[in-house]
Amino acid sequence: MRAEIERFLYLEARLLDERRFEEWMNLFAEDGWYWVPAAPDRKDPYDGVSIFFDDRRVMKTRLERLDHPRIHSQKPASRTMHALSNIEIDEDHGGEGEVLVRSNLTMFEFRLDKQTVYGGRCRHLLRIRDGGGFEIAWKRVDLVNCDGVFETLSVPF
Amino acid sequence: MAALDDRALRGLVGSDRVHRDFYTSPEVFELEMERIFGRAWLIVGHDSQVPDPGDFVTTTLCRHPVIMSRHTDGEVHLMFNRCAHRGAQVCTEPRGNARRFECPYHGWVYETDGRHAGAPYPKRYASGFLKGGEFDLAKVPRMAIYRGFVFACLSADGPDLDEFLGPMKSHIDAMVDRAPDGEVEACAGTFRYRFGANWKIQMENQNDLYHPMFTHASTTARDGTQFRRHGAEDDEAGRVRLLKENEALNEQWEELAIGGHRYGHTWMERFPMDRGQSGPVHERYREAMEASYGERAAEAMAVKHQNSIFYPQWSIQYLTQHIRAMNPVSVDCTENVIIPLKLKGAPEEMWRAALRSNNNSHSPSGMVMSDDMEVWERCQRGLASPGNEWVVFARGMDEEDTDNRGSFEGRGTSEANARHQHAAWLDYMCGEA
Repeated sequence: MRAEIERFLYLEARLLDERRFEEWMNLFAEDGWYWVPAAPDRKDPYDGVSIFFDDRRVMKTRLERLDHPRIHSQKPASRTMHALSNIEIDEDHGGEGEVLVRSNLTMFEFRLDKQTVYGGRCRHLLRIRDGGGFEIAWKRVDLVNCDGVFETLSVPF
Repeated sequence: MAALDDRALRGLVGSDRVHRDFYTSPEVFELEMERIFGRAWLIVGHDSQVPDPGDFVTTTLCRHPVIMSRHTDGEVHLMFNRCAHRGAQVCTEPRGNARRFECPYHGWVYETDGRHAGAPYPKRYASGFLKGGEFDLAKVPRMAIYRGFVFACLSADGPDLDEFLGPMKSHIDAMVDRAPDGEVEACAGTFRYRFGANWKIQMENQNDLYHPMFTHASTTARDGTQFRRHGAEDDEAGRVRLLKENEALNEQWEELAIGGHRYGHTWMERFPMDRGQSGPVHERYREAMEASYGERAAEAMAVKHQNSIFYPQWSIQYLTQHIRAMNPVSVDCTENVIIPLKLKGAPEEMWRAALRSNNNSHSPSGMVMSDDMEVWERCQRGLASPGNEWVVFARGMDEEDTDNRGSFEGRGTSEANARHQHAAWLDYMCGEA
């Protein structure tokens, strides 16, 4: 189980780094969501503002934009490296057929001669698919600087 | 550049253009901090950010660290965040609740209204030395609250808030009156971000109807629709037409009213898309508004403006329901604070939609903001190059027949609002504000 989960999360990171955004989105369940709160210890996405709070529909809009020929904030495109560590698997947390995975994320982003480093704690609720494999029921990233001052962000963590 | 006397400053602003030094000169920037940001009324925040006695937030105002707090008497106070002894900041938490503020250096203590509350081992000071208010936290020279919005002025002289806002007061009312309870609440936290461009580039951009179809081209899908920038009442990121039938819509852009008032304030009419709300949530909202406002309900509910800019430092965006404080950091760096506002008494679904709308368009990853910031940074970098010394704002010049210093009204993609800001800039900088 652990090896399968690691393979899945590493694939997710690689899809983002290779800018295969549509494939990334398709890792999410149809009712899945991606959340990066703008404050620490948020309990609910509706308790305040979020850096990202995307259901599949918003995700699709955002990712179509990343492929748009006139997305100025991605000219040149960001180069990223997502690294996951400290992976902990909590099989008791989710419901039937679900598993909660905690990990630490480091993301390097390079664009316009500038390198930026982000760090955060991730939680993935993975759902075991009928035919095997996983889908992401939700992914939450709590950045260490979530309520800090940001520069433009275009690509997901 | 030459010494910045009035003549040099006037030489930076022509009737239809400004010199690139207007955006890139550190000397001009320092003078702006003194003559514009040191004199105008600036937004600090909203009093609902400090609802209870002892609540505080720390922020910066024209580069000065300040504390906004609510004292035990229920009043809001605004002090410089600087110990009266050796100058250390007495509070570094972004927000919280405090019984008193205590300096970390020698333990001097202040009440939440800034009054000096004691220094350890006072006997070594001459008798009575610490009494009399000299060693309170210094108050920001003037503070005023209008409908919950907290303003500060770093100068003891000049127009009061009422005169400064003038007809723009009604633009604040227009936001607050949309709440059935007649109050808004800043209860969602804030977005903070900075970009590498002069503060005036953002000022000129916010009422610029010429840019959306180009700067924001990437938010438009192949079928010509755009994600809904503003709260869809069913809490979906619905899509709205932006560029479809481009020609027709361009004409609609040109129909929109723009305008301004004294002191450089400007406004722009609501965008042509996203009009018309209906459905069960809207019905409940209408009922709540009618219960509060009676015959005035329809007028109070109507959103007339896209955004209104209170020169030089903040704006209201109506449909997204937020205010934006824009604080200059240096000649080529500006920091924004976005504060969403909840309409008290309106259906919860509307608030949830407004939050999502803010996330989608105005977060650091916002699909609208990120393109704007990219373009502003490109302007700043481009303006570093010599060659074309002037930045042109001539659009709509031939139609202009009003005095830029008073109130005026224009149409569409004219650059009259930016010219109006430039006229106010000259008045501030050359002493006629």
